[in-house]
Amino acid sequence: MHWFESQLADLDRLAQEYTQAQQKQAGDIVNVSENTRLKRSQFIDAVQALVDKVIKIKGVGACAAYHDGLILAQAAQSPDIDAFGAVVQESIRAAQQGGSSLRLGDIQQIVIVGAINKLAMLSVGPIILCISCPKDINLASVLS
Amino acid sequence: MSSNVQFLDPRKSQNSEIDSILRNLMSIQGVSAAAIVDSDGFVTHIHRDFEINTDAIGASVQVVFGAASRAAQHVGHHQTNMVISESNDGYILSTPIEAGFLLALVTQREALLGRVRFELKETIPVLKKLFTSYLAN
Repeated sequence: MHWFESQLADLDRLAQEYTQAQQKQAGDIVNVSENTRLKRSQFIDAVQALVDKVIKIKGVGACAAYHDGLILAQAAQSPDIDAFGAVVQESIRAAQQGGSSLRLGDIQQIVIVGAINKLAMLSVGPIILCISCPKDINLASVLS
Repeated sequence: MSSNVQFLDPRKSQNSEIDSILRNLMSIQGVSAAAIVDSDGFVTHIHRDFEINTDAIGASVQVVFGAASRAAQHVGHHQTNMVISESNDGYILSTPIEAGFLLALVTQREALLGRVRFELKETIPVLKKLFTSYLAN
């Protein structure tokens, strides 16, 4: 497993732990609430940490995470940040519709390659991680 | 992290948890105030990092939420889950909790809207349970 895959696996684990914390029966609502909050902040902090690491990789132009098409974590201020969100939302919706008719299962990854740049969108728990880079960059290799 | 402290008064521990939730919301980048407003527009719990007229903000948030809910009903949207007001300097987000109580967040412009909205959406079910229990005690 290369570096980025292991980072995504860690995020997936934290997302699952958060979901499990949410599903616990609220016999003791105060402690359940505290635990859920802790798990959520561990997951979000890990997303922000990954975004901060990915942007430092040579060749990566932008990295951000979105929830329902709205920005959740970003590495640096970018003028296109809201446009990315709109593209993410549209792409995920289209992929989900196509995915269900083709029985692809839950959408895990979408890549849009343009003449100049490309954009990879990866689904991790409730969020979508977006990485943009020049078209010629091999993302799998720079993220390994 | 689970607390080992067992509160004798459940209402006191619920109150303290509500305060912890507001403190947690305040720790999000760009959030400058987090308040719980009752159905009459009175602020019952608040955390903020600037001077704020609590009576005015509480009443305004209730009025805005009420107006947005009515507008939604006029177009056949039955339940309003969140109202987001965007201004030059930031956002005000309000979400219903229980029995007319609202959770309102005031943010600066640099706040990440998706981050704040995600946190609000995830916090509301817990607050609903706490309030149901809080109001029953």
